[in-house]
Amino acid sequence: MALLQDITVPLLAVNDTTLTVVDVAFPNGQPVKKGEIILVFETSKTTYEVVAESDGFVQYLCEAGRDYEVNQVVAKIFSSASEVIKEPVTAKQEYTPHVQDGKKNTVNDWAGETLFSLEAIDLIESLHIDKSVFKGRDFVSRQDVEELKGINGTSNNKLPVQPVSQQPKKTAIPVDNSKVIIERISSNKKREIEFLSHVQSIGLTSTIDVYVNTDGIFVHLNRSLKYFKNSLLPVIIYETARLLQKYPALNGYFTGDGIAYYKSVNVGFAVDIDKGLKVLKIGGAAEKGLTEIEENIMGVSSRYLDDTLQIDDLTDITFTITDLSSEGVAFFRPLVNMMNSGILGVSSIDEKLQRCTLSCTFDHRVTEGKLVAAFLRELANRLESYRATNHNYPTKDILCYKCSKSLQDDLGDVGFVKSITPDGKDGYICQSCLKGF
Amino acid sequence: MQSVSKTISHRVIKDAIRIRRVEEKFLELFSAGKLNGTVHTCVGQEFSAVAFAGQLKKKDFIFSNHRCHGHYIAFTGDIRGLLAELLGKASGVSGGIGSSQHLCNKNFYSNGIQGGIVPVAAGYALGNKLRGEDAIGIVFIGDGTLGEGALYETMNIISKWEIPLLIVCENNLYAQSTPQHINLAGDIGSRASAFGIKTFEGDTWDPELLINNAQGAIDYVRSSVKPGFFLVNSYRLNAHSKGDDDRDKEEVEIYRNKDFLNVFSKESSDYYNRYLEVINKEIDDLVDEILLEDELPLENYYKPEAVVSNNSWVGLEPVNKRQVELLNKFFRDKIVSDDRAVFLGEDILSPYGGAFKVTKELSVLRPERVFSTPISEAAITGISNGLALNGFKPLGEIMFGDFMTLAFDQIVNHASKFHHMFNKKINCPVVIRTPMGGRRGYGPTHSQTLDKFLVGIDNVKTVALNTFFDPTIIYESIFNEEHPVLVIENKTDYGKRILSHKYSHFVYERNEDAYPVVRVKPAVSTPTITIVAYGGQADEMLSMLEAIFLETNLKPELIVPSLISQLPVDIIAESTMNTGRLLVIEEGSGYAGIGSELLASVAERAEGAIKMKRISAYPVPIPAVKSLEHAVLPGKNRIIKEIKEIFC
Ligand SMILES: Cc1ncc(C[n+]2csc(CCOP(=O)(O)OP(=O)(O)O)c2C)c(N)n1
Repeated sequence: MALLQDITVPLLAVNDTTLTVVDVAFPNGQPVKKGEIILVFETSKTTYEVVAESDGFVQYLCEAGRDYEVNQVVAKIFSSASEVIKEPVTAKQEYTPHVQDGKKNTVNDWAGETLFSLEAIDLIESLHIDKSVFKGRDFVSRQDVEELKGINGTSNNKLPVQPVSQQPKKTAIPVDNSKVIIERISSNKKREIEFLSHVQSIGLTSTIDVYVNTDGIFVHLNRSLKYFKNSLLPVIIYETARLLQKYPALNGYFTGDGIAYYKSVNVGFAVDIDKGLKVLKIGGAAEKGLTEIEENIMGVSSRYLDDTLQIDDLTDITFTITDLSSEGVAFFRPLVNMMNSGILGVSSIDEKLQRCTLSCTFDHRVTEGKLVAAFLRELANRLESYRATNHNYPTKDILCYKCSKSLQDDLGDVGFVKSITPDGKDGYICQSCLKGF
Repeated sequence: MQSVSKTISHRVIKDAIRIRRVEEKFLELFSAGKLNGTVHTCVGQEFSAVAFAGQLKKKDFIFSNHRCHGHYIAFTGDIRGLLAELLGKASGVSGGIGSSQHLCNKNFYSNGIQGGIVPVAAGYALGNKLRGEDAIGIVFIGDGTLGEGALYETMNIISKWEIPLLIVCENNLYAQSTPQHINLAGDIGSRASAFGIKTFEGDTWDPELLINNAQGAIDYVRSSVKPGFFLVNSYRLNAHSKGDDDRDKEEVEIYRNKDFLNVFSKESSDYYNRYLEVINKEIDDLVDEILLEDELPLENYYKPEAVVSNNSWVGLEPVNKRQVELLNKFFRDKIVSDDRAVFLGEDILSPYGGAFKVTKELSVLRPERVFSTPISEAAITGISNGLALNGFKPLGEIMFGDFMTLAFDQIVNHASKFHHMFNKKINCPVVIRTPMGGRRGYGPTHSQTLDKFLVGIDNVKTVALNTFFDPTIIYESIFNEEHPVLVIENKTDYGKRILSHKYSHFVYERNEDAYPVVRVKPAVSTPTITIVAYGGQADEMLSMLEAIFLETNLKPELIVPSLISQLPVDIIAESTMNTGRLLVIEEGSGYAGIGSELLASVAERAEGAIKMKRISAYPVPIPAVKSLEHAVLPGKNRIIKEIKEIFC
């Protein structure tokens, strides 16, 4: 007789502190074979199946459709059927216990009569518990009864720390069905909300924008790019990854009472092409060359489109880049993901002004504006260094719109002036025509 | 050009020139950017200052208004302190804190609130009378201030109580920019005579006569121990303050030509110039010296202090006496044993003894120390302030808490500010008591809990009594206070016995602060919700604790502060960090209330996530009809429902 396997909720993505059990494969107590799927979790990005490691009898401590916290035991496999107790474990409690719970709640040195709360009495009656087990207590609440029966594992007497968003909030915004049509949000969207609100809901984020001069930037860059011609994303990932080593505060997160700095740089980039919003990982980006990064982007993007993403493509992302440059946006405010301290937003290149906006939203609890501004400025400088500074115009093709002389043929060494022609077109004018002799 | 008297003493003329030159210096310094703020000069009115302030005795006192420089110089002779004050130097009479309108030195006080100083002066004068001293007081007002209600409340009282105070009304025909015909009805002198106050009159164009009449009025007040009212006709030659003058130039010119000093300067230019030279030198030398001096450093004016509550706890026991009996007993002892104690309020004389009988029989024990007042909340409070400045421990009673609004100016602009604005030279240990709270069906204007308007007044402590321990512990502390205290009593608590219901499942204790904090917690269990309530609401909570547990599963710890102007945030934050839940219940309406203040302070200090909630009265006047009154105030059903919704 032995416990063969404890199935706990895995940490699959930094953003998922709870997972939904979407499928419970067997009835409680059923024999299972090694390799059989026991249960299926849904993460914010994919599903995850847990298989039996050996033959045995399964006991579920969970129900399909409910959320459980990472590391919580949700199923066990025993060597014999008799070991299986058919008691369900409740879903993730609405409130996790207070961290500072020093004192034990159970005190047994009360000589007077015990006062039971109404719910405690109901529970005692429904569980047929002998009230005298509570002798020595002054007050017995429902939670005290549950604690005694080990129902909740922990006492919920203590502080409500952080309600799970999945649980219907008591203060939902009222809905008048005669005026609106309700569409339930998907569990994916709910998760997105949950892990974005983790950093953002505190309200301690701010966003800093800088412009990058993109004039002539692709002249050389496109020669190095294989797949993503005219895209800044690969070089931004490349340069950001390197810079993050210099700015470790942006490659970490706020833990509640400290700051966690990631040991490696895994840059994530957000994609949303028909398959839902996902952040895909370029692991160890700081050690990779531009070509390798481009290859990686290509590889992970195709897996995204083919629905063959691995857990590893989605987890342990230390900094996120969201590229909306193909959407024609001037600038936007990206939202920091859970367990990150910053996110970089890339806006579209303004063709007229030859520039684009980089926006970095960051968690003030981890870093501050001055540092992030320096990070952004340095990033912009690095990107601008790719610009073809002496933009080589073919001198013979540049003609003065007035005298049709080409730049090549011009004798003065001051060059031509960019101008607008009398019919409103872009053109050039030579010094002689402009100023006269 | 009319001619001036040749018989008048030149000492008086020199005094007047001095006042004028000092004020002209202020205007000069102001133009040169060396003076901050504002000045109101009395140029043209100087002889009023000389006639009254100059003829008082040292033991007498003066309360003056915004136009007070002349009065100050005439009474104290302290030009240096005044110059330094206006130049913002630490050596100024009020350390540079008060400047022009807020001076305090040798029985001289001024304040920039029109009319508000009149009851304070009355209280001060009453104090002198109670001590049996023949000192009198003068309070200066302008004609514009004849519009203030506090003035009439006070005139009624000083006449009735025969308080030796001379009201000097300097009638310069304008209130700031407004000519008298626009804002004054009827006759000035008749106002005073209607109250049975003897009136006097004079003008600054005939200083000799003015001085004589002033002496007559002062002698009358002193010897008859009765108030007087003196109307001084005058005209101010300069703007109201600095450059704000819209008066007709010709009109001003007429008065300029008529001005005694101006005429004197022409008729006796030899004398005038000789005096002027000496005075100018005196002033210039002083200014040169003062300009080099330092200003008051902030730490001499204000130092932040953290709240640190006492942490030794003593058990609480029931007292088989009603709260009102304990209060009454305490006051009976005090009125006999403490020579500082004075009781003032509406209907407080025996046999009635106040609307709630707290002051019962005090007037039998020591009749001269109990003043049943007219219906005059501003004056009750102002007179109490004056008594307090004069070394007494006045206990003013405002019959219902709702009426505190009528006393508000005296609390906020006088009691609260005196100590600091006079650079800590004086204290105002006034006590104002008032019952608040509903549940008696008295309706909208007699039931409200207005405590949130009474906390957050600088240097004023606000205390709420409760039924958990003998309230005389609190009153003992109040008798030791050097600064103002507002006491919120509770109408329903008066009739209750101390800790009449002690439930065996809870431990009842209080700490040893001067204003004790009560804590009621489960006998052995660790509490799982922190509840804060005070005043009358605390007693309501007491009987609810068991029900809260039965219905919500939460084990409550009740914390009852009594000093609500400085909540024991440390104690509450600690409890909250243990329970993770904080509920504040107040009987007043909630918006920007004491609960809000508490939650904010706890949030600043506590670590970890905490669920918080305020429960308060609905934001409507308290209805008289019982069912609605109970629905509007935070009652058991609502509290339990809200706890379930928020915390469970
Ligand atoms: C309670 C109050 N209301 C308004 C003011 C603003 N104020 C200052 S002086 C003044 C005019 C006072 O006129 P009066 O009493 O005739 O005195 P005068 O200035 O003429 O000496 C006013 C309205 C004030 N200081 N206090």
